[in-house]
Amino acid sequence: MALYQDLGRNLQKDLLAKWYGDLALANERKEPVAYLFVSGNVEELLQAYGFHLVYPEINALQCGIKKAAGGFIQKAEEAGYSSDVCGYVKNDVGIALAGGKWPLGNLPKPDLLVCTYAGCTTYMKWFEALAQHFECPLFVLDVPFVRDEDVPAADIAYVVTQLRELSVLCQAVTGRTLSEERLRELVRLSAEAEDLWVRVLEMAKRRPSPLDGFFEAVFFMAPINVLRGTPECVAYYEGVLREMEERVSLGIGPIPEEKFRVVLEGPPPWPHFRAFWDLFKRWGVTCVASTYPRVGGIWDWGMRHDPERPWESIATHAMNGYTNWNLARRQAMMRRFVAEYHADALVLHSVKSCRAFSMGMADTRELFLREDRLPALFIESDLADPRYFSEAQLRTRVDAFFEALEHRRSARV
Amino acid sequence: MLIAEIFDRCRALVDDTDLSTVAAWKAAHPGAKAIGCFPVYVPTELVHAAGMLPVGLVGGGGHIEMDHADSLVQSFVCSISRSTLELGMTGRFRNLDGLLFPSICDVARNLSGMCSRNFPALWVDYIHLPQNRASAGVVDYYRSELARVQVGLDVLAGRTTTFDALAASIQAFNQQRAVLRDLHAFRRSFPWLLSTEELHLLTNAGSVLDVAEHTNLLQETLNLLSMRKGKPKDRIRVLLEGAFCEQPPLELMKAIEEAGCWIVEDDLLLGRRWLATDVTLNGDPLRALAESYVRQDTVSSVRHERPRRRADSLVERAREARVDGVLLCSAKFCEPALFDQVLLRNALEQAGIPHLALEFEEKMGVFETPRTQVETFVESILFA
Amino acid sequence: MIVAGIDVGSTATKGVLLHADGRILGRALVPTGANVVRAAERAFQEALRTAGIEDWEVCFIVGTGYGRYKVQFGHAQITEISCHAKGAQFLMPGTRTVLDIGGQDTKAIKVGEAGEVLDFCMNDKCAAGTGRFLEAAAGVLGLDLAEIGDVSLRSRDPLRVTNVCTVFVESEIVSHLAKGRKVEDILRGVHNAIAARSLALLRRVGYEPGLAFTGGVSRNRGMVRALEERLGSPVHASEDSPFMGAIGAALYARERAEHAAAPGKA
Repeated sequence: MALYQDLGRNLQKDLLAKWYGDLALANERKEPVAYLFVSGNVEELLQAYGFHLVYPEINALQCGIKKAAGGFIQKAEEAGYSSDVCGYVKNDVGIALAGGKWPLGNLPKPDLLVCTYAGCTTYMKWFEALAQHFECPLFVLDVPFVRDEDVPAADIAYVVTQLRELSVLCQAVTGRTLSEERLRELVRLSAEAEDLWVRVLEMAKRRPSPLDGFFEAVFFMAPINVLRGTPECVAYYEGVLREMEERVSLGIGPIPEEKFRVVLEGPPPWPHFRAFWDLFKRWGVTCVASTYPRVGGIWDWGMRHDPERPWESIATHAMNGYTNWNLARRQAMMRRFVAEYHADALVLHSVKSCRAFSMGMADTRELFLREDRLPALFIESDLADPRYFSEAQLRTRVDAFFEALEHRRSARV
Repeated sequence: MLIAEIFDRCRALVDDTDLSTVAAWKAAHPGAKAIGCFPVYVPTELVHAAGMLPVGLVGGGGHIEMDHADSLVQSFVCSISRSTLELGMTGRFRNLDGLLFPSICDVARNLSGMCSRNFPALWVDYIHLPQNRASAGVVDYYRSELARVQVGLDVLAGRTTTFDALAASIQAFNQQRAVLRDLHAFRRSFPWLLSTEELHLLTNAGSVLDVAEHTNLLQETLNLLSMRKGKPKDRIRVLLEGAFCEQPPLELMKAIEEAGCWIVEDDLLLGRRWLATDVTLNGDPLRALAESYVRQDTVSSVRHERPRRRADSLVERAREARVDGVLLCSAKFCEPALFDQVLLRNALEQAGIPHLALEFEEKMGVFETPRTQVETFVESILFA
Repeated sequence: MIVAGIDVGSTATKGVLLHADGRILGRALVPTGANVVRAAERAFQEALRTAGIEDWEVCFIVGTGYGRYKVQFGHAQITEISCHAKGAQFLMPGTRTVLDIGGQDTKAIKVGEAGEVLDFCMNDKCAAGTGRFLEAAAGVLGLDLAEIGDVSLRSRDPLRVTNVCTVFVESEIVSHLAKGRKVEDILRGVHNAIAARSLALLRRVGYEPGLAFTGGVSRNRGMVRALEERLGSPVHASEDSPFMGAIGAALYARERAEHAAAPGKA
């Protein structure tokens, strides 16, 4: 009997619903609110000061899923934003222009904006615009790009210095003082959840995989990105792990029969998530690993928050988001995924909104095709803007790709 | 030399996408290397101090055919990224030994990685730019970053850069920037004696020249300019903002001025005069350079706007230069500039400064549309 | 045994009837229009008519193209990418790459010896550098789409057209006309611009000589010439090139039918 079926999905919904419920009341209760970004975020420090946390990117993706993105994006474009800039930003600016009213109720106004820009340099533009709109303090945590094999010690020291300065600002905004002990506890809980999350992701190394390392992982990853440092987050991943173990014992997976295993590079097209997944399901494709769940942080190879060195580990985490790695490191990561998760192909989903992801994807495709002789499919749409999704075009590409793979396979047999 | 000859020479230097000037420099300096520097701003002092020629990369202009790069770069990405790749893929970087990319935007980040992979013969590095200028650790940090890059250059050059060499290089660039400032001041006062097209040619010629030679050329031009004769025409004064990285075609600058404007202030080739005042040498030159980069108030869309808002400083610059209007002129698909346009436009609106948004691409070939737009803009101001 | 391939494209729907021995018995090309289901039927009926064959004689039908799922009488659906590869290798043995320029898409396909797809790339979402782009250019010059290729071949001083955006091509052409540039020079520039875009796609899949040019635009001789000049190698196009998708679909239909008929495999 399936005891844990859909636990990962349902519990995630409950956790987020509670989180958004709390957020809606934060201004009213005069509790401090901070806005921050997902990638390499420093939520442990902010939680230690008791901030409610708002992630504008998550709001944008929620709008995408709930088919509300188009209207907000339009609103921002009417206010002068170009059709050629990031749809996430426009979606979020659209919400701000609508006074925080959005499909999940009301968003609180921020008391502090914290911009760590490991996700992209566009993050800075985003919060500069919000800082002007909300007239509240903005702290840019300068995170150097990971441009080499090793992160220079000076980079970490610089980020730690800034974290201490951010802490002083938090104190001024909240009127509270920092308990180092509480910070260590938060960091310890983060590390615990990170261990569990990696175990969940690695379940996809099995054949067949019990987990879709993209289409499911992008939902399962929400708590590790936004609720780290909480016991609920740890409990969540214990639950998801159980669900996956149960799937293995029952012999079930994300699709009835796994025919192809792929690694997926790039973000999902949130406004057309189902339709996009269906393009692959029809061919019996499981995404065994993907890069998008590594945008928040990269824990696969041992990097953890560390209660023994809370500040340094927060700083290290802040720099190690997927898109803050240079292309060579990113390509090496995909290569490892292909090898360790036994993938048959690589799928690259280029999105207009995000140059941090998309610029260079065609080059990555070349690398895999020419040097690794791995079939690679390049497709395009957008993560936020519903107007850039052409189902017929995508379907032709996906179908042709798997037709060819199938042909090659049957020719070999 | 006659001033017309100077401009002819500059034009030849700028049109030389094969970098034969760099080859000639290398022939005259056996064993010395040349490093291509991507916009917006790279501390070229480091390259120069290592005995190398810093070469300013400015894309491919309208000159080159895109045969290879379009297959690697999506259509929603700016032209300069694709033309830079194209230059490399068609062998035009054969006279370079390395590439240095500054941390200006997401495209530049990944472009540096693409160049590393596609041009294995080149040394490629990516230099961080401090975005949190208020942090107590920022100067120390930036000094260490400059030192890291210096070590990389030294290894490539097979020598060690001394403090004295770096100090001398800083001096050389201080002088170059000073003459550039003088030229800009001259244009601001006498725009009918120095067109923006000419100023751009003069500045851009420095992309492939040794700094001392370029400084001399600029100084000579400045001397000749004071003897130039011409009559002011009835045109409006404008500030052009947003073209700090990819450069608009010279024809566009010309079309704008012919449509009835004097461009008296701009951010074209901003990196060449990123430091608005001299780097003060006092002890450790590496620290002096770091101080300057961190402390100087240069405003650009590729730099976080604290402590001062870009919009506020734009309004202030517009007033200082006594302009009648502002042209928000950004490269197509340039996200930093396009995002800023909204905030800048709002601020100009509030300040009551007329403005017009224009979009360009380095390879654009027809200028009727922007010309019509600018003419209408001029009319709207003159007839107001 | 007779099989059929129906290729429902964005602009035109093509039908081909194929005999088991490889002879093409009938072809038809009808505008797709608004009713896609109807267009597929019409193309099939028209092909039957030209071949003088009754529909019950056709034992297997494969639908391809954007409207492949609208070929309601079809037995299977296969993408036009696979079909163009298959058809090109069949009609032009030794084909290494296929360039298919259709109404809304340009596709570069790398083909294996058996007509299998080794790799492929398509243009961006926008219609830059596709048939639609040529159509826009023809429209603003007041010419018929069928004649612009030949006109372009008269050019002695081709223009550099930098913009391949379908939206802006019109204003660019108008401004060139205003400057007194010749129509043939403008058109040659337009063709060259598309050839450059196509080359970028071909490079993505790894271009090798032995190019079969297919799709609706392959009938345009000016385009063939522009491509040959750009590539520096011959481009193969024939009367059948616009039907390549349907031919490939018919070939797949033949394989499926033979497979089904083979003893012990049903």
